[in-house]
Amino acid sequence: MLNFLLSRLARAFLTIMLVMTFAFVVLRLSGDPAMVMLGPDAPKDAVDAFRARWGLNDPIWQQYLAYLTQILTFDFGVSMRDQSPAIDLVLERIPATLALTIPALILKVGIGIPAGVYAALHRESIADRGVIMMSIFGFTIPSFVLGLVLVLIFAVTLDWLPSGGQDTWRHAILPIATMSVGGIGILARFSRSAMIEVLGQPYIRTAMAKGLPWRDVVWKHALRNAAVPIVTLVGFMVGALIAGAVVVESIFSWPGVGRLIVVSVSNRDLAVVQCLLLVIASSMVIANLFVDLAYGLLDPRLRHKSAAH
Amino acid sequence: MTAPLLQARGLVQEYATARSFFGKTSTVRAVDGIDLTVRQGEILGIVGESGSGKSTLGRMLLGLETPAGGEVLYQGAPMPAPRTDAWRKLRAQMQLIFQDPLAALDRRMTIAAQIAEPLEIHGIAKGAEAAERLAALMARVGLRRDQADRYPHELSGGQRQRVVIARALATNPGFLVCDEPVSALDVSIQAQVVNLLRDLQEQEGLTMVFISHDLKVVRNICDRVAVMYLGRVVEEAPSDLLFADPRHPYTRALVSSIPKPGQGLHGRIILQGEPPNPAARPAGCAFHPRCAFADRGCAARVPELQHDGRRQIACLKPDAAAATAA
Amino acid sequence: MTFVSIRDLRVAFDGVQVLHGVDLDIRQGEAVGLVGESGCGKSVTWLAALGLLPGKAKVSGSVRLDGQELVGAPRPAIEKVRGKRIAMIFQDPSSSLNPVQRVGKQIMESLRLHRGLKGRDARAEAIRLLDMVGIPSAATRVDLYPHEFSGGQCQRIMIAMALAGEPDLLIADEPTTALDATIQAQILDLLGTIRRETGMAMVFISHDLGAVSVVCDRAVVMYAGRIVEANNIRSLFSAPRHPYTAGLFAAIPDIDADRGRLVPIHGTVPDPKNLPTGCAFSPRCPRATAFCQTDRPHLRPQSGGGDVACFQPVAAPKAFPALRQEALA
Ligand SMILES: Nc1ncnc2c1ncn2[C@@H]1O[C@H](COP(=O)(O)OP(=O)(O)OP(=O)(O)O)[C@@H](O)[C@H]1O
Ligand SMILES: Nc1ncnc2c1ncn2[C@@H]1O[C@H](COP(=O)(O)OP(=O)(O)OP(=O)(O)O)[C@@H](O)[C@H]1O
Ligand SMILES: [Mg+2]
Ligand SMILES: [Mg+2]
Repeated sequence: MLNFLLSRLARAFLTIMLVMTFAFVVLRLSGDPAMVMLGPDAPKDAVDAFRARWGLNDPIWQQYLAYLTQILTFDFGVSMRDQSPAIDLVLERIPATLALTIPALILKVGIGIPAGVYAALHRESIADRGVIMMSIFGFTIPSFVLGLVLVLIFAVTLDWLPSGGQDTWRHAILPIATMSVGGIGILARFSRSAMIEVLGQPYIRTAMAKGLPWRDVVWKHALRNAAVPIVTLVGFMVGALIAGAVVVESIFSWPGVGRLIVVSVSNRDLAVVQCLLLVIASSMVIANLFVDLAYGLLDPRLRHKSAAH
Repeated sequence: MTAPLLQARGLVQEYATARSFFGKTSTVRAVDGIDLTVRQGEILGIVGESGSGKSTLGRMLLGLETPAGGEVLYQGAPMPAPRTDAWRKLRAQMQLIFQDPLAALDRRMTIAAQIAEPLEIHGIAKGAEAAERLAALMARVGLRRDQADRYPHELSGGQRQRVVIARALATNPGFLVCDEPVSALDVSIQAQVVNLLRDLQEQEGLTMVFISHDLKVVRNICDRVAVMYLGRVVEEAPSDLLFADPRHPYTRALVSSIPKPGQGLHGRIILQGEPPNPAARPAGCAFHPRCAFADRGCAARVPELQHDGRRQIACLKPDAAAATAA
Repeated sequence: MTFVSIRDLRVAFDGVQVLHGVDLDIRQGEAVGLVGESGCGKSVTWLAALGLLPGKAKVSGSVRLDGQELVGAPRPAIEKVRGKRIAMIFQDPSSSLNPVQRVGKQIMESLRLHRGLKGRDARAEAIRLLDMVGIPSAATRVDLYPHEFSGGQCQRIMIAMALAGEPDLLIADEPTTALDATIQAQILDLLGTIRRETGMAMVFISHDLGAVSVVCDRAVVMYAGRIVEANNIRSLFSAPRHPYTAGLFAAIPDIDADRGRLVPIHGTVPDPKNLPTGCAFSPRCPRATAFCQTDRPHLRPQSGGGDVACFQPVAAPKAFPALRQEALA
C-alpha cells in the first residue's frame, strides 16, 4: 500500500514537472513579453531594460534552471505587470472560481448520476428517453452559446437575473447553470450506460436469484460496480474545478481564475501564466491521485496484483 | 523423441491477499516449483485438485503472468516480458482458452466480431477472406451461421465456450493452452471438439496443454498427463499408463472417483482430512495429512519428482501404494 | 406430491422460439437430472421459471409451485420464492459472483434474508458452509474476493450460497464442471446428504452423465427446446429409447477402452429459427423415416416405463431382463 502511494506520488510529481517544462518552452517561443507589455512602439532601451530585468536575454536553459530552482524553493516569481507575487495573484482568484465550480459540480453529480441511474433502471420508458434527449442537448450545446441564450432570456428579456458581475449570489446563478448543464448531460449519459452494463452482468442475476429485493440488488450490488467508470469522470470534473470556468467567466465577466488566464496569456505575463499552469496541473494530478485510490477502494481487482511484482 | 517446444523450470507463483485495503497481506503460493516439458506436437494433460494451481500454471506458460520464480523457455528462448513487441508476436502463435468463457468474452461485441478480431490484429486476413475464415471457424466448432450476430450473453454456456475455442484457433496457433475447454459442452459437441483438436494435432502439429477435470476426455486426447496437487506435480506419465495404473495415492483417489454412467461411484477411494490450503502448506509431502500410507518420514521430507520407468512420481512410499493397488 | 409443475412452458427471444412447450413435474424431495444438447434450453427453462430472463424474453405457459403460479407473478411474490423455495446455482461461477464484494458477505446476505442470521452468527454459518463445500481454511478466506479463488472454488462458493437459504428445491446448473473428480464426488455426496436430511428436491443440469447417474432418481433428456425422453436412471442408462439419447451415450469417451476417435452425433443442431417440420432430430437420426420428417412425435408413456417422443424408438431392451426385474422390484 505504502509502495503504491509512493510510486503514485512520484508519478504525480513527474507529471507536474513535465507540464511545467512544456509550458516554459512554449511560452518562451511564442512571442516576446517585452513587445506585448510595452507595446510595439516602445523605445529600444526600455525594451532592453525590460529584457534584462526579467532575464530574457539569458540562454533558454539558464532561464529554465533559474526557474526550476525558483519553484523548488516555492518562489513562483512576480508578475511582470504589477510586480506583485504571481502566486498571490492566482490564489486570490481561486475562491471566486470555486464559488462557481463547486456548486456546479454538486449539481452535476447530484442531478447527473441519479438521472442516469434512474434511466438505466427504467429502460425504454418515457423518463429514459427524456434523460437521453436532455443529456444529448446538454453536452452538444457549447457553453458560450448556452450562456448567451440564458443571458438573453433571464437577464435581457425577463430581467430576473443580472447578466454579469460578482456582487451578490444572484450573480452566480446564470454562470453556475451554464456550467452545470453540459456536465449533467455527460454524467447522466455515462451513469446510464455504466449502470446498464452492470445490470446485464451475471452477478446481478445471482443477487436476484438469492431472493434479494430489487432495491437491494440495485443499491448493494449494481451501484458499486457501476461506480468505477463514474468515479473516473467525476475525478476529471474535480480536477477541472480551478481551470474549468474560462469560457463562462469570460461571458459573465466573473473575476476568477479563468479571467486571469485570459488576461495574463494575452499579456505574456510569464510568471503568472506559469504559476497558473502549476496550480492547475497540480489540481488535476491530485484529483487523479484520488481517483486511483478510489479505484482500489471500489474494486479489489485493481489493488496490487501479486507479491512478486 | 521430438524437441521440446516449451520448457518450464522451477516455476513459482505467489499471490498476496489483503484482508482489507490497508491491511496486512499474506502470501499464497499457488504454484510451487514446477518443471515441465512440452514436446512439439504433443498434448500434455494437466489434471489435479481444484485450486492446485493449474490455471495459474497455464497463464505462466503463455507468459500472461510473470512467474515469481523460475522461467519458461519457448523454443529454447526465454519468454519475453509481457506486453513487449516480442511478446505480442508470440501471442499469435500461442493461445489460451479461458476457463470461464463469459469472463473471457466482451459483452459489447458480437461473437463474429470477437472470433474475427485476432485475424485483424495479427494481420492474417481481411475482408472477404476474413469472412470466409470466420465461417469456417464457426462451422468447425459447431456454431451456426445465424448465431454470428449474437452477443455472448445471448448464447448458452456451451455455445459461448465454442466461441472462445473458435477465437483461439483463429490465428492458427502452434501452441494452445486449453483451460477446461470442454466442460460446458454436451458429450456430442465435446466429442466433436475433441476430435477437432486431435485433427489439428495430427495434421498441423498443434501442441497443446490441456487442463481439465474431465478425466475421460483427458485420457482420450492427451499423450501424457501430469497430476498436480497443491502447486506441484506429483505424478506424470503417458496417458494410458496413468489411468490404467495410477501410483501416487492422490492420483489413485482421483482416478477412482470418476463417475461412470449407470455405475455411480463404486469402489471410490474417499480422501479424508482437510482440503489443502496453499497459504498453509503442510510440512513434508503436501499430501501426507490425507494419505493412507503416510508415516513420520512423509511429514518431514518433501518428495522430489523421480523417474520410475515411463513415469515420474513424487512419493516417498510408492511401493506401499503400489502394493495395495495390485 | 408434486412440488413444481411446469406446463407448456415456452420462451422466445426476439421472436425466435427456443423453448417449445416443456412439461415437467418435480416431486417433493426427488432429484431429477436434466441433460441434453448444449443450447437446447435447459438453463432457460429454470431462468424462466424464476423470472430471471432479461426483459426481451417472452415467456408463456405455467410454472406452479405448490399451486402458486410463477409465470407473470408480481415481483415481490417471486422474490419470496427465489433463494428460499427455489435456489439456483449458475453455470459460469466466476462471473456469477459479485467481483467487488467479499465472498463471505455474499453468502451472509442469503443467510440474513432467509434464515434471519446476523453478525457473528451469520459469519460463523458462512464459514461452516464454505468448510462444508471444501474450501480450505474457510475461516481465513471468507473475507477474500472472488478473483482470489480458483474456478472450482468459485463454483463451490456458489453452491454454498445456494445452500445457505435451505431451499426446498435446488436447481444446480452444471454445478461440478470446474471440480476435480475427488471434490466432485465429495460435493455429490454432500448434496445427497443434505437431501436425505432436509428432503430438498434437486434438478441437476449436467453434461456429465456419470454424475447424473450418481445423484439423480430419474433423468429428462431435452433436444431443441423439447423434452424427448424421461425415465428413471437405471432404465435410461441401461436402455436409452430415443435415438438422441442413444447417440449421447455413444459419444462419451470410455475410460477403459482404447483412445480412439470419439463418435459425435452426426450432423448439427438445428437453427431454432427454422426447425425441421417433423421431429427436430430427424435430420440427424439414423432411424428416421419419411414420416418423421413431416410429423412431430409427442412425449408418450411407453409400455416398458418412461416417456419417449419418437416414432421409431430404439427397441425396448430384451437383452437386460435382469435389470428390468430389479427396476420393478
Ligand atoms: N489473484 C489471486 N489472489 C489470491 N489467490 C489466488 C489468486 N488467484 C489464484 N489464487 C489462489 O491460487 C490457487 C490456485 O489457483 P488456480 O486458479 O491456479 O487453481 P486451479 O488449479 O486452476 O483450480 P480450478 O481447477 O478450481 O480452476 C487457489 O488456491 C487460489 O485460491
Ligand atoms: N438472452 C438471450 N437472448 C437470445 N437467445 C438466448 C438468450 N439466452 C439464451 N438464448 C438461446 O436460448 C437457447 C437455450 O439456451 P440455454 O442457456 O437454456 O441452453 P442450455 O440447454 O442451458 O445449454 P448449455 O448446456 O450449453 O448451457 C440457446 O440457443 C441460446 O442461444
Ligand atoms: Mg482453474
Ligand atoms: Mg445452460
